[in-house]
Amino acid sequence: MSEPLDLSLREQAAAIAAGELDASELLEATLARIETCNPTINAVVETFPERSREMLAAAPAGPLHGVPIVIKDEWPLPWRAQRFGAADMLAKTAPGESGPYRALRDAGAVVVGVGNMHELGASSTGNVSVYGPARNPWNPDRCPGGSSSGPAAAVAARLVAGAVGADGVGSIRYPATYCGLSGLKPTFGRSAMDGHHMAGVSTTIVSGPLCADAGDARRLASVLYGEELRAGQVSGLRIGVIEDEVSEDVALPVHEACEKAIEDLRAATDGDVRKIELPELPAATLATVLIANSESLGGVTPERLNNLHPELSPLARGLLKYRLMLPAAATVKAHQVRTMARRRLAEVFDDVDVIAWPTVPAVAPPLEAPLVELPSGTLTADAANVRGGALANLTGIPAISVPVGSSEGLPIGLQLQAAWGRDELLLDAAEALEGANGRRWVEAVPPLTAEQTEA
Amino acid sequence: MEASGSAHQFIPAALAAFGVEADEIELAVMGAAHEIFWPPILELLALDTSAVASEQDHDLSQAPPRR
Repeated sequence: MSEPLDLSLREQAAAIAAGELDASELLEATLARIETCNPTINAVVETFPERSREMLAAAPAGPLHGVPIVIKDEWPLPWRAQRFGAADMLAKTAPGESGPYRALRDAGAVVVGVGNMHELGASSTGNVSVYGPARNPWNPDRCPGGSSSGPAAAVAARLVAGAVGADGVGSIRYPATYCGLSGLKPTFGRSAMDGHHMAGVSTTIVSGPLCADAGDARRLASVLYGEELRAGQVSGLRIGVIEDEVSEDVALPVHEACEKAIEDLRAATDGDVRKIELPELPAATLATVLIANSESLGGVTPERLNNLHPELSPLARGLLKYRLMLPAAATVKAHQVRTMARRRLAEVFDDVDVIAWPTVPAVAPPLEAPLVELPSGTLTADAANVRGGALANLTGIPAISVPVGSSEGLPIGLQLQAAWGRDELLLDAAEALEGANGRRWVEAVPPLTAEQTEA
Repeated sequence: MEASGSAHQFIPAALAAFGVEADEIELAVMGAAHEIFWPPILELLALDTSAVASEQDHDLSQAPPRR
């Protein structure tokens, strides 16, 4: 057998179930690898070995029995309140059983650590956190992506085979792309969400898996959904593409890798590629930002804004105060744009099965200056990334980012989006694509990780 | 008016109206955010959406009902 920590999530589960791998040994090996390898990437901000051992001792037989998992600092645990990557998250928090925690526990999984995240979930880069930023295992000077930075970096560095993130405006798919993983943003409401401090308020946030490949994402997503996401064969896949800045204002290596992946997917499924139009897309991007920001204003009062925790970053302090100034009329119109975009997508999905475009337009930027060079000029990574990430959150549709290439030694991701409830199709399509490219990109391991795990 | 120009008036006036204080760094962050967000917000505000029929009881987990 390969080194247990280098097995896939479903291989770990199968080996434990077959009695070929001792779950206690896997847990101790995982804790040891986190201790050895995590300081370079700061993906895991807290471990609790005794809690993890207790969880394993009580773990029921289930689809993830004995498998170590990292969970984002966005979800409370019975022994730890979430911190949302921030010194002050302007919301009441307390230790407790979140939906994702309960789903993992009931599936027999072992929560082995808390994953770092971008402060207040407010960026696609992951370069600011109360714990210090997580770093990209492919290059520690580059952004890991955000806001689920730690979960992504932990899986990419093979500290664990699976992690749970959250996606309110692309926050699973951006880090999945930057770290070369498969990250699924479920259909709104389909995955466990209770216990989140925005549950019942947010209309964009969902929990979801970050894993090396689609098979592992399917297994972990099935646990989070509370239902098995059955695998199917994709045939005659109708792939929608768009001629818009989201697919055109893209760095050349990303454009080429995604074009090739779309052609590979078409060929693998004996499908066809069709041009679609989404004229609402630019307005939909702004609408998502407005809605997501206004929904998080509940805990924001002038008094609190005048007494923010001194360790909150200047960026967070400024943006929190700016949120107060967003005009209500714009937020009302944002909801109408949401309606228009949902109706447009419903029509589009009559004609295509998936919509494909680059998850983000450029590879992971430097941590110190998260800017990207695009044909239109230099943009902040956030301004560029939100163009492709927001639509799924605004409308509720599922989306997945899958690794399809590399440039400058950094991963490139393709995003596939499908109609409401067709999450399984996205996983099927991702697996078809993996087969078409010989699993080259899902099996790629960061050089840093390879060095450390061999040491 | 350019967003950067309006920021000098709009942001301090809004902060004063809300009774919120801000230091120079925070003002710079807000100014940068204003430059990014304000032009598309103005475009959105210019959009007449009065003809958009509302989606009754919208459920984001499903496609909108056929009209």
